[in-house]
Amino acid sequence: MTSTWSAAARRALKNSHVQFLILGAALLLLPVLSANGIIKTSTLSTLGFVLIYAIVAMGLNLLLGYSGLISLGTAGFMGLGAYIAAYVQDNLRLGFWVALLAALVIPTIIGILVGVVSLRVRSIYLAIATLCISEILLKTFEQAEWFTRGTAGKQSTFPVIFGIHTDRRFMFSVIVIALVLIMMLTHNIVHGHLGRALHAMRSSEVAAQAMGVNVLKYKLFAFAMATLYAGLGGALYLFFLRSSYPSSWNLFLSLNVIAMVVVGGLRSIFGTLAGAFVIFAVPELVLKELPVVGDIPGLPYIFSGILIVVVIMFFPQGLKGLADRVRHALTPRPPSVTKDAAVVQEATR
Amino acid sequence: MELLQPLLRSLETGSVYALAALGIILVWRTSLVMHFAQGSMGMFSGTAVAFVLNRTGAPLWLSVLFGALVAVLLGFAVDFAVIRRLKRATAVGKEIVTLGLIMVFLGLAPILFGTDPMLLPKAIPTGDVSLGVANLSYNALLNIMVGIVVAAGLFVVLQKTKVGLAIRATASNESTARLMGIPTKTVTLLAWAMAGVLGMLAAVMIAPTTTVTPTFMNTVQVSALFACVLGGFQTFYGPVLGAYLIAVASNFLKLYGSSVWGDQILYLLILVFLLVRPNGLVGKTYLKKV
Repeated sequence: MTSTWSAAARRALKNSHVQFLILGAALLLLPVLSANGIIKTSTLSTLGFVLIYAIVAMGLNLLLGYSGLISLGTAGFMGLGAYIAAYVQDNLRLGFWVALLAALVIPTIIGILVGVVSLRVRSIYLAIATLCISEILLKTFEQAEWFTRGTAGKQSTFPVIFGIHTDRRFMFSVIVIALVLIMMLTHNIVHGHLGRALHAMRSSEVAAQAMGVNVLKYKLFAFAMATLYAGLGGALYLFFLRSSYPSSWNLFLSLNVIAMVVVGGLRSIFGTLAGAFVIFAVPELVLKELPVVGDIPGLPYIFSGILIVVVIMFFPQGLKGLADRVRHALTPRPPSVTKDAAVVQEATR
Repeated sequence: MELLQPLLRSLETGSVYALAALGIILVWRTSLVMHFAQGSMGMFSGTAVAFVLNRTGAPLWLSVLFGALVAVLLGFAVDFAVIRRLKRATAVGKEIVTLGLIMVFLGLAPILFGTDPMLLPKAIPTGDVSLGVANLSYNALLNIMVGIVVAAGLFVVLQKTKVGLAIRATASNESTARLMGIPTKTVTLLAWAMAGVLGMLAAVMIAPTTTVTPTFMNTVQVSALFACVLGGFQTFYGPVLGAYLIAVASNFLKLYGSSVWGDQILYLLILVFLLVRPNGLVGKTYLKKV
């Protein structure tokens, strides 16, 4: 009996959705630990931002990992989500859910418009077009004072969800739930009908087109998902921090999100989470605390920049690839099986 | 109508954008990398110029020479240590590397040159020529001349010299060029160094209008990229044309449209323009072969 139970448990553990839920449950312990004073509130905040950036980076990973497109507008769309959430909640007083919905829908629509214009030519145009949209949005955040209060910064409050007045710890749990849902959604997209089209597109655009895949449509879909995730991340950012300043939404946030995807490993959900941790939390929690090095200005930039370059040059699979290699080295296999596995891997790649 | 004055001012900023755009297109044609770090590499060597000038009191021309040396070494280093080793990386991978380089230079500049914003004086501090209704400062005239002379000089080099032929051959087809005995690696190295010097010149020209901070080249970078989009990536002269057009359009939109939103309106107009002519003004159709 016990053996069948353990076999069932092992099978369940291999299910990605179960893994996501276990991760979520573990993360939900963090606010409890913080309430008991075991971890610092500032650490909890840092981890909260890691999870928010992980959500945003997962959207970019769909775009970058499957369609090979770069968006430099992530920060702009995230900021737009944040300001819309604040405006709908605090100025229009329509409540949390309407604010969240607006922060998801409006950036996505703008994203689709930008995609329609720029994706028809060459993939690199999307990067340039989103760079300029990002500049336009940043200018809007600085100038449209009725909407954003300009450089003075928009202040907001913790939302009321289902009649509960939330606080920082409660919002952390909301972020965890959003993260788990986003992980499941991403997993389902990648492993469903859409994912197959995206995979086909990745190996050869022309071949995929010949097989009847509408390349433009799927590129547009991937970019729309990236902006949707960015809008969600922006709204969560606002509800977690309760303020938003134009200077937060500059190009370097967009570059950092790209760094998270690259460092974590393309097309890997857990890798992206790890990448977000390395890029955001390591400078914040570790580098700043170092004796001499910690005081150097611009250190986080150099850290992210060098990581991007080194990972692309030497570890194209990122942290996910490293983890795979370690796992491979730790599990002894008969040689014939590994050879077969390699062939299968080659065939499915 | 006061048309001459804004037109002259546009020629000045257009020269800055043209130099930066030339660097981007040189790198694009020879290494097939979209050079997102052109602005930040220009920022870095431009900051080096300001640093030498402010710290040692060296004359501007000597500081600029030093900046050119920094730019050349930087270009060599980037191509030699990074870009050349990326032959197997995907096109996106190369782009992302230049994005990573932005962050490296952005972080390095305050460490090496200090966090305080610096000032860079004009090459010619005072004096202007009167052209009927409009005035043109000697410095603006110099900037316009530098832009035109450097761009024209580069075209002569590209069209008439052996080096230019090598660059054009590499741009047209890298592997064929290599088979024909052209040292394509050296050509690429040269292109990165030239892009670095062009970026430094753009930085020194735009610096007197602002302060030298890590982000002072952002507008130049965006405008130069757009100049390439507008002019098309297939020729060397297209982006230069695009740069001057963008400068003129930007100045007139700011003057007669909105002083705050001029550039933003311009960006949107260029995006709309892409719908009509996706390959740019002088671009040829780009065919992707299987």
